[in-house]
Amino acid sequence: MECIAFVIAIAVAYQALKAYKLSKEKTLLYLNLSFVLIGAGLLIDGLSSLIVLLVRLHRGFLYLFGVGYTIYFLAQVVAYGLLVYAYARQARNLTATTEALAAVPILFFERNAVTELILIFLLVYIAAQTGINYSINKNTNSMLVFGAFTSLTIAHVFFLLYTVKPLFYPFAHIAQLFGFLLLLAMLLRVNQPA
Amino acid sequence: MIPDTQGQTAKPTAKPTAKYRSQLRIYVDMMYVIQRESNQAKPTRILYGANLSHDRLVKYLEELEALGVIQETGIDDKVYSLTQKGIEFLNNFRSVESFASAFGFKV
Repeated sequence: MECIAFVIAIAVAYQALKAYKLSKEKTLLYLNLSFVLIGAGLLIDGLSSLIVLLVRLHRGFLYLFGVGYTIYFLAQVVAYGLLVYAYARQARNLTATTEALAAVPILFFERNAVTELILIFLLVYIAAQTGINYSINKNTNSMLVFGAFTSLTIAHVFFLLYTVKPLFYPFAHIAQLFGFLLLLAMLLRVNQPA
Repeated sequence: MIPDTQGQTAKPTAKPTAKYRSQLRIYVDMMYVIQRESNQAKPTRILYGANLSHDRLVKYLEELEALGVIQETGIDDKVYSLTQKGIEFLNNFRSVESFASAFGFKV
């Protein structure tokens, strides 16, 4: 699932780069960097989990879970932070952004409630912005982006619940994948010939 | 100081809200007008459609011609049309515009 999400994130990043090259609009560069980081984080998290599973949860490799998740978490915080910055920059509300981009201590942590709450906080802001955009534009592409970020927020709520009950883990991954599939649908719509 | 309707003087407090168009945006607006006019647009049409002054219209038409995205096609009257390169550029721009707009960003 992480591999599919990774491919879609890189495709969004590529489209954002193409848009930036044409328009030289900095917010699109932030969007590109953001999705590159999201993709890289997903890939590293997926690979570290895979390596640990391949060596059948050998105790010596268990730290890889922590390392993979730490990189994934930091990449996601910076990525969503960049998106928050891009939206705030557009709204000329820079003070709120600086607060949102608070420094994160670098430790090897496993998935926990605090890290998930930070991601949920950032994602709620982005989902709200894309929701406002949809309420203004009322077009399908805006709706797909709004749906994607809402789904990613729900995924992280499930990841948060997973820290209490492991039952939520597959739901979190399904919601995450669904979010990325909505982004893929938007990309396909945008690139279809007029 | 700007006199208001009651004859009193109001202080200009807020910054002007009008947003400046980038050069790219002006180029695209002009090309959209040409496309809308069935790819055969007179300068007056472009001037009104893209909301430009005459001086700027002349300057930007020359620049677009130099870029090879539009060409002068009229025999008696000046008429502008999009070249193949111009049509391809406009298609690319349209997809970029709808991608950025899906996220709520403007180009």
